[in-house]
Amino acid sequence: MDAMELINFYLVPGIVVGSIYALGAVGITLVFAILRYAHLAHGDLATFGAFLALGVVTLGGVSPYVALPVAMAVTAAVAVGIDRTFYAYLRERPKIVTVMASLGVALMVRAVVQIVWGVDSQTYTRGIVRPENWFGIRIRDREIVTVLAMIALVVALQLFLKYSKWGKAMRAMSDNPDLALLSGVDNRKVVLLTWTIVGGLCAAAGVFLGLNYELKALMGWTMLLPMFAAAILGGVGRVEGAVLGGLIVGIAEEMSALFLPTEYKAATAFAILLLMLLVRPTGLLKGKVL
Amino acid sequence: MSDILDMRDVVGGYGEADILLGVTLRAAPSEIVVIVGPNGAGKSTAMKAIFGLLHVRGGTIRVDGADITGLEPNRIVEAGVCYVPQVNNVFREMTVHENLEMGAFLRSGDLSAAYDRVYALFPDLKERRKALAGNLSGGQRQMVAMGRALMLEPKLLLLDEPTAGLSPKYMEQIFRICRDVRDTGVTILLVEQHAKQALAFADRGYVLASGVNRHEGTGAELLADEDVAAMFLGG
Repeated sequence: MDAMELINFYLVPGIVVGSIYALGAVGITLVFAILRYAHLAHGDLATFGAFLALGVVTLGGVSPYVALPVAMAVTAAVAVGIDRTFYAYLRERPKIVTVMASLGVALMVRAVVQIVWGVDSQTYTRGIVRPENWFGIRIRDREIVTVLAMIALVVALQLFLKYSKWGKAMRAMSDNPDLALLSGVDNRKVVLLTWTIVGGLCAAAGVFLGLNYELKALMGWTMLLPMFAAAILGGVGRVEGAVLGGLIVGIAEEMSALFLPTEYKAATAFAILLLMLLVRPTGLLKGKVL
Repeated sequence: MSDILDMRDVVGGYGEADILLGVTLRAAPSEIVVIVGPNGAGKSTAMKAIFGLLHVRGGTIRVDGADITGLEPNRIVEAGVCYVPQVNNVFREMTVHENLEMGAFLRSGDLSAAYDRVYALFPDLKERRKALAGNLSGGQRQMVAMGRALMLEPKLLLLDEPTAGLSPKYMEQIFRICRDVRDTGVTILLVEQHAKQALAFADRGYVLASGVNRHEGTGAELLADEDVAAMFLGG
């Protein structure tokens, strides 16, 4: 096998799926950092966002790229609503209660998707898209858009966290919640903001997954493990770590097909997660210890 | 002039049991008042009562004439009281400058005067303004914590054992900074384990024991008191 084959069949798909994992993992790491629990409904929320975009595409007759911001905005509102309806009441309880509640929310969200859009696989656009040839490297337009959109969203998030007043408040809440409260930061506003961002990123992950593969009711759920592996690999609470982790998990999954039957692809993320927790539980970029 | 802090007969605790059984504390404008006492006397608890972190079941707490008894901590911040906890008192993953910025979170408008004032008090911090607070030494971290609290230009600054775990050199420096802060018109109430040194530097002191006032007076008076010496100063 030559280098071009390796790039075209393993590295490019790895970077694309890694970018999708990265979008999800950034949300997971933000929830971990600020709310301090594992959010198991993350995958199904991504599914919801993907199908919401499908609804916009079929009803409005627009391209999925136009549907993306709509899906992000609505999913952000739904995420805030879920927090208000379910998680807000559990804030004072041990965190494991919220983790379990989020599993329940995952099942509910999935059921809604199945009732509204059915259980069959669907796609945004019909027909086969042939990849463009860039000096021997074959990439589809949607793959370029996926990677660029991930980079744009993450850079925007980083700028917001670094320079804006409320971005700093989010970092302060993640760093030292008691001191943030003593400084007069309104916890409820930070939580609201966090879910808005997390919901939007979640929908983006779902839409790009649907765009590059297909839409299925279980698409998000199967993405949950790689997303968590990516967040922990990068270091919990580290946005740039989640991106790095997402790309590593994505590439590792695709590369594993070189040595293992493709059925074991999903096990790669699990292996990375186990190895990381054993060797370096703080992650590559030294995140919080859970 | 009226007292900045007027805390009378305060009774309260964290849960059901009362830890404070009637504590009275006063602080005049631009005064350094120190609370000393044996372990478990309720020193830090008295301070937390002022900042609204406690169930106050009796007595009143006034700051500059306004009743703040039972208010939420963020309302107490608005009333002009800032509190520096003993531990975990900086944002470790944020720069020194960002820590100060978080201190001024409730303020809007131009903050350059407030930054200048804090950096003038802590020249060390100005040099290290881009450093992460978590990478500083214990003494410098304490300065960041105090600087953060001073960004709101409080009337009353509460310091919970600011010299705990610091070397004698830093202890002297923190005390000297406290005097500088006082000279800018801020009243300081602090809790101290190092009773002897603290009484020597403070304007006035209170000795608490078992949740009640035991002694009060100027630092020199308390240091000269035999009962106080026998209680915990250890000669």
